[in-house]
Amino acid sequence: MERLKRSSIILSLIESLLEENSWCGETHIQKTTYFLQELLDVPLGYEFILYKHGPYSFDLSDDIMAMRADMMVQLQSRSPYGPSIVPGPTGQQLKELFPKTLKKYEGQVKFIAKEMAGYNVADLERIATVLYVILEKGKTGREETSQMALYITKLKPHISSEQACTALEQESQIRDKAKELAKSS
Amino acid sequence: MKKHIHEIRDPIHQFICLTTDERKVLDSRPFQRLRQIHQLAMTYLVYPGATHRRFEHSLGVMELASRVFDVITVDENIHDKVRYILPPDQKKGYWRNILRMAALCHDLGHLPFSHAAEEELLPEGWDHEHITAEIIRSVEMEKIWREVTPPLRSEEIIKLALGAKESKKLKLELNDWETMLSEIIVGDTFGVDRMDYLLRDSLHAGVVYGKFDHYRLIDTLRILPKSEDETASTEPTLGLDAGGLQSAEALLWARYFMYSQVYFHRVRRIYDIHLQNFLESWLKGGKFSTKIEAHLAMTDSEVIVEMRKAALDSKHPAHTHAKRIIKREHFKVLYELSPDDRNINPDSAKAIYEAACAKYGKDSLRRDKYTQEGGSQSFPILHRGKILQSTVLSGTLREIPVVATDFVFIDRKHLENAEKWLEKEHKNIIKPTGEID
Repeated sequence: MERLKRSSIILSLIESLLEENSWCGETHIQKTTYFLQELLDVPLGYEFILYKHGPYSFDLSDDIMAMRADMMVQLQSRSPYGPSIVPGPTGQQLKELFPKTLKKYEGQVKFIAKEMAGYNVADLERIATVLYVILEKGKTGREETSQMALYITKLKPHISSEQACTALEQESQIRDKAKELAKSS
Repeated sequence: MKKHIHEIRDPIHQFICLTTDERKVLDSRPFQRLRQIHQLAMTYLVYPGATHRRFEHSLGVMELASRVFDVITVDENIHDKVRYILPPDQKKGYWRNILRMAALCHDLGHLPFSHAAEEELLPEGWDHEHITAEIIRSVEMEKIWREVTPPLRSEEIIKLALGAKESKKLKLELNDWETMLSEIIVGDTFGVDRMDYLLRDSLHAGVVYGKFDHYRLIDTLRILPKSEDETASTEPTLGLDAGGLQSAEALLWARYFMYSQVYFHRVRRIYDIHLQNFLESWLKGGKFSTKIEAHLAMTDSEVIVEMRKAALDSKHPAHTHAKRIIKREHFKVLYELSPDDRNINPDSAKAIYEAACAKYGKDSLRRDKYTQEGGSQSFPILHRGKILQSTVLSGTLREIPVVATDFVFIDRKHLENAEKWLEKEHKNIIKPTGEID
């Protein structure tokens, strides 16, 4: 997918997250985009790696930087966290270039925003880590929760066993709802 | 008595000290090749002083990397929430060695003139980081790593030299500590690769805005959690003690100035494109070889010799492109994306490029779109015992623009006519046409 088209989807995700009262910092965008691409099959083409606290795409980070340069998004600084990323002066023009694309993926974008905007950054990091482990490490998600939790805490020692179990449950709920969405559309 | 520490004078860091093991890397063929690789490609055609090479830059990166390591691993500088990522004390010396070697080797795979068009000039699946990795694990270099006490593992040097993103392409995964160390070299905001090239490029180009107080900056670097709030990210990252905030502001502004004044200078950009065209026409299959011996044999010197020959020989396949560089007949800017046009159509430059190609022929046009990479202004700051966000504490960090260029260049023989044509057609061309798919 070409850069501007990709950017229009990211912009619509940002708008949807803000509508759902997300803080919408870069981590929110990174983790929700990961779900949008990997779980909802929106073909954005970003390469994600398992970084210190969960999946992260340097390409997406570069795209957000390019969107800032083109004034499609801008930073909004608020205490106490890092800056929020909000639509910029040329955001509307970008969306007008790709009405069909935005329509095509509207359902997936709204779904991810609705399901994930309520989670804080620490939760998002853990839930996205679970999905990464399932997809990249060949884990099926059918293993015993305790086994999966053990694996995750070994891989990422900053995550406690209890936190891993909660994240597994949260990820599973999102995945089930995503399946329902796919069936209905 | 045999000497174990070797000193090299440097215009940025005064003296750079090397151990005998590091001296072996310095004397190796891959490292000596960097003496013939210009740091800033053909920028010297615009800024005549910018003739410095990757050789001295790599030494500078090694020097700064260990200065940062020595500051952030001091016990009293370690924040309790991130203490878990550090190795035991007895392992720190090993990792310091790995870090310095990785810093020294991080640019070994660069193509002649540090050329960035790797997608076009290398076979599919290759980039200069991949070549760097191949060199680090080559027989010649493995011998050096084995002779260090304790021996160094080449895979660890590769991971730190390339960072998490590039290592993933080679199926190498970094743990948290390795990621932290790689950020010392290639990190987005405080990576010493960027620190050294800003200082060095600024000095040699004669653009004084690139300076900042790197002594103060490094002294105040800390590994910090992004936040102490358990609902936010506590991911360990490079941040600052509050005393270094002004030097960080200076670094990020220096970066902005260097991008807008030097790296994105229009004439520098078009020479880079002409050089790419020359290489594509001259090289076998239009690509550089990825074989190590061939890579080591190919430097800026070989390219320049061929280019001078090609400029004089009208039958040479790369004659036209060589002449544009050697005779300074580079293309001129026909159009540069303006904020007004961007408000109408973010893809205005593409529309104008395509319309101009249709009118004057593709061979007479070039487009160059580029956005600065990295340089996040957001990082944690330790302020009176609490973690605060840089963009909350600093008004000026919030205001640093992201630098981007979007130029359309045209063969100078068409410039006058094309400018008149564009003045007349400009509004029609950039009008958004709607989505085609």
